[in-house]
Amino acid sequence: MIEITSTPIILIAILGTIGMALPVISVLRKEKGSNSFYGIIAFAALIVSIGYVAYEIVTNQIPPAAVFSGDVLSNDSFSGLFAIAMLIVAILTTAGSFNFMRGQSHPPVYYSLILLSTIGMVLVAYSTDLVMLFVAWELMSIPTYVLAGFLKKNPSSNEAALKYFLFGAVSSAIIIYGISIVYGLTGTTNIGGVMTGLAQLDPSMMPLALLAVGMFIAGFGFKMGLVPFHMWLPDTYEGAPPTITALLAAGTKKAGFAAALRVIIMGTIALNLDWTLALGVIAVMTMTVGNIAAIMQKNISRMLAYSSIGHAGYILIGLAVAPYTELGIQGTLFHVLNHSVMKGAAFIAIAGIVTTLGVTNIDKLKGLGRKMPIISIGLVVSLLALAGVPPTAGFWSKLILFGAALDTGVPSWAAWLAIAGVLNSALSVAYYGWIIRKMYFEGETEKRIAEPKAIVGVMVFAVIFLVAIGVYPDPIIEFTQNAVPVLGTSLIISK
Amino acid sequence: MVEANAVGFAFEASAVNAWLVWILPFVAALIVPAVGKFSMRATGWVAIGFAAASALCAATMFSGALEAKEIHDQVNWISTIGIKAGVLADPLAVIMANVVGWISFLIMVYSTGYMKGDKDIVRFWFWMMFFIGSMQLIVLSDNLLMMFFGWEGVGLASYALIGFWYRDKDKDHVGVKGRTVLGLTEYYSPTHSGMKAFIMTKVGDIMMLAGMFLIFAFAGTFGFRELLHDTAWASSMQAQGLLVPAAVLLFGGAIGKSAQFPLNEWLLEAMTGPTAVSALIHAATMVKAGVFLVARLGPLFFALGAAGFLVDDFFMVIAWVGAITALLLATQGMVNSEIKKVLAYSTGSQIGYMMMALGVAGLSHQFVDGYTAGFFHLTSHAMFKASLFMAAGSLLHTVGSRFMTDMGGLRKHMRKTYAFMWAAGLGLMGAPFITTGFWSKDAIFGAVYESGNVWALPLFAIAVLTAVITAFYTTRMIGMVFFGDKSKHIEHMEKEGHHMHEAPLSMWVPYGILAALTIGIGVVGLTAEHGIHELFTEYLGHTFGIEAAHETAEDNGLPPFLAGINPVALIASISAFSIGIGLGYVFYIGRFVDPVKFVNSNIFFYALHKVMLNRWYLNAIVYWCFVVAPLWIARGVWRYFERTVIDTGMNIGLEKAVGWGAKVVQQTQTGITQSYLYVFGAGILFVVLFLFI
Repeated sequence: MIEITSTPIILIAILGTIGMALPVISVLRKEKGSNSFYGIIAFAALIVSIGYVAYEIVTNQIPPAAVFSGDVLSNDSFSGLFAIAMLIVAILTTAGSFNFMRGQSHPPVYYSLILLSTIGMVLVAYSTDLVMLFVAWELMSIPTYVLAGFLKKNPSSNEAALKYFLFGAVSSAIIIYGISIVYGLTGTTNIGGVMTGLAQLDPSMMPLALLAVGMFIAGFGFKMGLVPFHMWLPDTYEGAPPTITALLAAGTKKAGFAAALRVIIMGTIALNLDWTLALGVIAVMTMTVGNIAAIMQKNISRMLAYSSIGHAGYILIGLAVAPYTELGIQGTLFHVLNHSVMKGAAFIAIAGIVTTLGVTNIDKLKGLGRKMPIISIGLVVSLLALAGVPPTAGFWSKLILFGAALDTGVPSWAAWLAIAGVLNSALSVAYYGWIIRKMYFEGETEKRIAEPKAIVGVMVFAVIFLVAIGVYPDPIIEFTQNAVPVLGTSLIISK
Repeated sequence: MVEANAVGFAFEASAVNAWLVWILPFVAALIVPAVGKFSMRATGWVAIGFAAASALCAATMFSGALEAKEIHDQVNWISTIGIKAGVLADPLAVIMANVVGWISFLIMVYSTGYMKGDKDIVRFWFWMMFFIGSMQLIVLSDNLLMMFFGWEGVGLASYALIGFWYRDKDKDHVGVKGRTVLGLTEYYSPTHSGMKAFIMTKVGDIMMLAGMFLIFAFAGTFGFRELLHDTAWASSMQAQGLLVPAAVLLFGGAIGKSAQFPLNEWLLEAMTGPTAVSALIHAATMVKAGVFLVARLGPLFFALGAAGFLVDDFFMVIAWVGAITALLLATQGMVNSEIKKVLAYSTGSQIGYMMMALGVAGLSHQFVDGYTAGFFHLTSHAMFKASLFMAAGSLLHTVGSRFMTDMGGLRKHMRKTYAFMWAAGLGLMGAPFITTGFWSKDAIFGAVYESGNVWALPLFAIAVLTAVITAFYTTRMIGMVFFGDKSKHIEHMEKEGHHMHEAPLSMWVPYGILAALTIGIGVVGLTAEHGIHELFTEYLGHTFGIEAAHETAEDNGLPPFLAGINPVALIASISAFSIGIGLGYVFYIGRFVDPVKFVNSNIFFYALHKVMLNRWYLNAIVYWCFVVAPLWIARGVWRYFERTVIDTGMNIGLEKAVGWGAKVVQQTQTGITQSYLYVFGAGILFVVLFLFI
């Protein structure tokens, strides 16, 4: 077992207690508490958690990327980075929800589900055992199914939740199938044990192992939004409440990457496959489909949903060249962190727009720059960061990702990844620019509307985060360098 | 990591002070808009406070610098490419930082009076603080890349401040309305001037960027000390004949920023900005950035030269560009009637002196002489030019016109301004023994004369001639403004009840202080110069390995208080001053000869005057070649190429193609969950099959 005072356990304790306590409190108070009351409790719990993780990282109590121990959970820099990213997203979502939840029913349930889902997300990154991973995966997903359909009377919300749930159920089944094959082959569910087991595999069993890998790619790829497992994504992101879309786009998607990093890469390394080409092809398809589809969209949530698909493609570039260069996973981790904030902030901004103005059509965003200046600035900076414009953080992570594809030692087809990435980034500027144009360059002089304060706070945080890292990226780059060796050393050596 | 020099005892200032000097003004710039929402007046206090704080931080480093120590502190900036950010507070930088810091502080105080009542004052403070931060960043950076960020920052601030009165009212223009040269107008608005300054300096900046990256490609670093320690890059560059071109490209940036020939035209139009801006940016600091860059690079390249590399051409270019600029701009200052333009010409011309001194230093055996002279002139010029500009601002406020022909006889009404302008003006003219301008200009003469270089005499002649003209136009300026009868303009104003009065306290105290300093330092001038000379000798010797070729001759037959000065240079300085002020007195103060009649008296004078007044037609030529012609070509391209090929062909074609692609993808999103799941299943099969391959 793992120590009782290690980070994941503490996080479970804090968030779990509060998460489960919220509905209890509401029953005790006979549902009289104001909606923000529960939100504030949840927010406080999240701040304490992220404070704890950050403290641990800054005081160097976390070993830089321990490998796969016999424990079920491992506490290392890799998980620390994901924990920070997920907690930031949860905080953004909670803060963005204060305004959204005004007038909605069942606030304690809402916040409690967010907290429980967050535990799941964080634990996915900490898991070193397949069953633990699966449990965490389900813990993460099931609350989000409910949250996606939170607006009970809204048909699109219901549709979103149902499609999400169906896909989620299918992919969970596929993941379990993959786990069971692996267990059958190696006799253990510990990831480290699986690696050694697969490395010593009888070659006649190879097809089964390949099948298992394929299952994993499909199952985790659903959450990540990889093509061709992405079909649910636009409908769900569009229909769900925008704050929950932030959680999905920025949180659960990243958890998918965390799982992918631990499982797929480890497993396929041990099998010594040339799987990188497959990942490369998926990456290019994902990027292209995402960006091309985004161009003609009229609904802003749907457009950003396709944009998320595109970014999943960029992140996958890093994974595709991971065995050949250390920059690969570094870029992936950095982009994961950045994308959480960028997309999260963008969707929270949309939440602000939806709750105050009630519009989701991009044409109706005319003159937003004057109507809601702070939300507009937050949205603009997030969009520019997504496009990869310096001096925002997005520029650096894309630079490292594309640079990794061109680094020494990568196979020649990797150059196509970089080309595709650059062309797609250029293409994405088109639709981001369109939104920015609507906000600032169109519309007559509009009067200023009061913006929800919590969302203003989120916007300020996002702008500071993205621009500060954009100007001085080094601390984060060093952090990702520390987080890589988990996978790095074992990766490159066995190749 | 703080590297103290070998002597080893700690000095008062730490590296933090060096960082704060340039960070504090940026903080102020960020705060000012927020403060402005509560109180407009408070913004002035914030600006002055932070300017003072920044100057104080610079001052704490002064004592260390006097002992030739340096602070060099670095942090990792972009570690993946191996680029570090850092501050380098060596004696050169510390002195410059103090000059910039304290003059900026005084000008901030002046601005509270000058800009009083302006509605856009918050924007003014923001850009002024942004400017000061960027300028200090240039001064204190330890590498070319960071310095370039500051370089661009001052360019941006300069653009914003030149075009500050962007509503383009008539009174904010420069030039004479309706007057044309070679068919083009010479009457420019603030917005046009801002753009002109920005674009012209950009030409220099691009050259600088090219030079920087050329060096980086060979050296792998931008840092000044790093480039000095390992000179392998210089050998590879010289082998390909790229060493001097890269250096000259870097100097290109200095040409642009310091308004040297051939990129000098922007400085004149920059006078559309508020006078406080002209005083700070276009007299005392930003235009000196080019000189500072040369001062940073000079010892590096001289040391390379001493090690056997061929760098003489680089210094030759610097010296001649400086000399040509000095003479060219001085002649134009003689004939112009707008007071700020005369001062602008004067600034460009004096900077030419500084460049000449630094260039000649590189060509001589005794590098430290020219180096000290050039830099000393930088500091003394900053003082008296800022003072002159601020005083001119007072005149502008009082008289309500920028033309000296609209002034006259003001010495009875504006006594303090009159006194201070004389003091600072004497500094500019190089009045013997009592002004700091004399000692610095004389040092330049001496360095040029003694350089032992084949071009020494022609350069010396140009320098002396320019000094005569300088003295003349300064006297002319004072004569036209303060002596003679009241102009019709003033009479008109007095009839309407606006009387001529002295400037308010917040305005005259700053330029009074600087004028007093001009004389004050002048009195102890030679000691000051010797002090700087020794400091730089030690600094150059220790850091760059440049040893003095000989001790300055002690015994030259002059009285003891003039020890160490070259007698020829001394006589030249004194004569130039006397001739210039004498001629100026004859024409403009005593008014014995009427200048207008004199100019029209024969065809040669008339033609010469016209050419000088038309800026040697250089401005018009630049506009014809680089504005009118390209616009004509652009219009042609637009009409015949863009509308046909690009608009119809490419744009519509691309739009249809991408639109088709998007529609195809959109149509796969049917909305039917079952079809989604089919695709999912197909995807799994595809992936597994792919893995099998």
